[in-house]
Amino acid sequence: MLVEIAHLTKTYRNGVTANDDISLSIDAGEVFGLLGPNGAGKTTLVGQVLGSVVPTSGSILLADQDVLRNPAAARKTCSYQPQSSAPIDGMTPREAIQLIGEIRGGDPTAVRARAQELIDQLELGEWATKVVELSGGVARLVTFCMAVVVPGRVVVLDEPTNDIDPLRRKLLWQLVRSVADDGSAVLLVTHNVLEAERCVDRLAIIDHGRVVASGTPAAMKSQFQGELRLEITLEPDTQLPAAPEFVGSTTRQGRRVLADVELRHLQDAMRWATSLREAHIAEEFSIGPATLEDVYVRQVVEPNHVAEREEVTVP
Amino acid sequence: MTEALRSFRLLVRWQYFQMRRELWLLTSIQVLLALGIVYGLAFLIPDIDPRTAAFLATGAPTITLLIFGLQSGPQEVSRDKLSGRHAYISALPVPRLALPAARLGFWLLMLIPGTALVIVVSALRFDFALDVSWEVVPTVLLVTLSGCAVGYGLGEVLRPEAAAQIGSFLSVLILLFSPVNFPIERLPEFLQAIHLVLPIKYMADLMRWSLTGSFADNIPLAFGVVTLWCALGIAACWRAALSRP
Repeated sequence: MLVEIAHLTKTYRNGVTANDDISLSIDAGEVFGLLGPNGAGKTTLVGQVLGSVVPTSGSILLADQDVLRNPAAARKTCSYQPQSSAPIDGMTPREAIQLIGEIRGGDPTAVRARAQELIDQLELGEWATKVVELSGGVARLVTFCMAVVVPGRVVVLDEPTNDIDPLRRKLLWQLVRSVADDGSAVLLVTHNVLEAERCVDRLAIIDHGRVVASGTPAAMKSQFQGELRLEITLEPDTQLPAAPEFVGSTTRQGRRVLADVELRHLQDAMRWATSLREAHIAEEFSIGPATLEDVYVRQVVEPNHVAEREEVTVP
Repeated sequence: MTEALRSFRLLVRWQYFQMRRELWLLTSIQVLLALGIVYGLAFLIPDIDPRTAAFLATGAPTITLLIFGLQSGPQEVSRDKLSGRHAYISALPVPRLALPAARLGFWLLMLIPGTALVIVVSALRFDFALDVSWEVVPTVLLVTLSGCAVGYGLGEVLRPEAAAQIGSFLSVLILLFSPVNFPIERLPEFLQAIHLVLPIKYMADLMRWSLTGSFADNIPLAFGVVTLWCALGIAACWRAALSRP
């Protein structure tokens, strides 16, 4: 394993425990997703992997090197895309990408070629040689290129797709995959559960500093076998009436309501949702198989499950 | 060592990229400032004699280089912390002190032409002789490093606003209460005692001696005191740069 995190706990001086007994590992060639709400402890975990935050207890090995004892080796092993855009004021995107490639030890000629390849693949040509204020999405893409121009054996990407248009987002996921296929271990931090489902090989959901679920997307969804997800978008300023008995737990996020329904109640669910639409309570609805988002919602969003938080590890 | 030099070179390039649009402005201001100081000196002291002119002109580099570090250190660290550059570079495989060293190298290149110009033009205008020795190189480095080490140390340890205020406060103290532009005998006794321990007087002595071959008597003592303070400043800066939450 390229990344081995064992029983990692971080308690800051103010008493806040940001990570609580976290254990996970990532292999070469693997894209590992780290999902969790704001304040779950993802950034602290990344800081410890990069060697910039010291763990209270536990250990992190990157390519068999102890990060705590040798943070300089961690910086060499990891290339990193922060959540904010990289500070490239005064530089063209091409200069910024090449400079970081050389700082990461790349040969200047090879770095130039690789930078051009990334610029072409992400269709950044029109900004590549201009010193201008970049839009949020373009700046994020340039920051991503800076992280992968000379990728470390471990690549840490913190919310890489924020503010990026759908077309380039797709291109970016392809590049993330190819970085892993070339032998790096990719740690992908994201809020975007649906996208993560398509890109990651394995993932962990963390909440309140603890891993509450981990495994492959398919294995994690298998706990919902035989269950469907009914998604209802309510009309503005309407309330959902009491749900029939066959509807399992429901979660409301704004106008969106997610409800668990067993397969045998498919027709009942269709009838109920149709009646809601006819009564102008529901604007639209859909029924489909459970997704990773359902796992996420069950583990993190639903108050009952948050209260009973227990680790669920799926092989 | 090769890797450290490589990092240094690339970070100086980064610094250049950031500043290149303002380079012409910086250079112009340096030249105008140099000419202005010399021109203004004649108004300040109308019948200035060559020895006084030499004393004042060769005191200016100490003040300029020292205050530069105290002012720009906290400013640059604060700006980097706010823009995320500090955290970004902290995650790159470069030695911890490579960034401050690269900034220092870049700014020295920016400051030295103007500083040298003040001295040369003053010597021509007020008719005093310069006797520049090789010791001017370590002197300039020691003075600038000391100021920058304290400036960066403040920037690393304190919140941005506090670091900037304390940097400015120290600059004013140095400007008004340090025996750089006047002899130490003019200060009250307790300040004289303090300045026999602090490095500022010795920095000025070294600078004058390396530029004119006079105005100082105990050069080994001056080198010793300045080197010791510089080493302490760098050690404190190093410690601050390595501290992690």
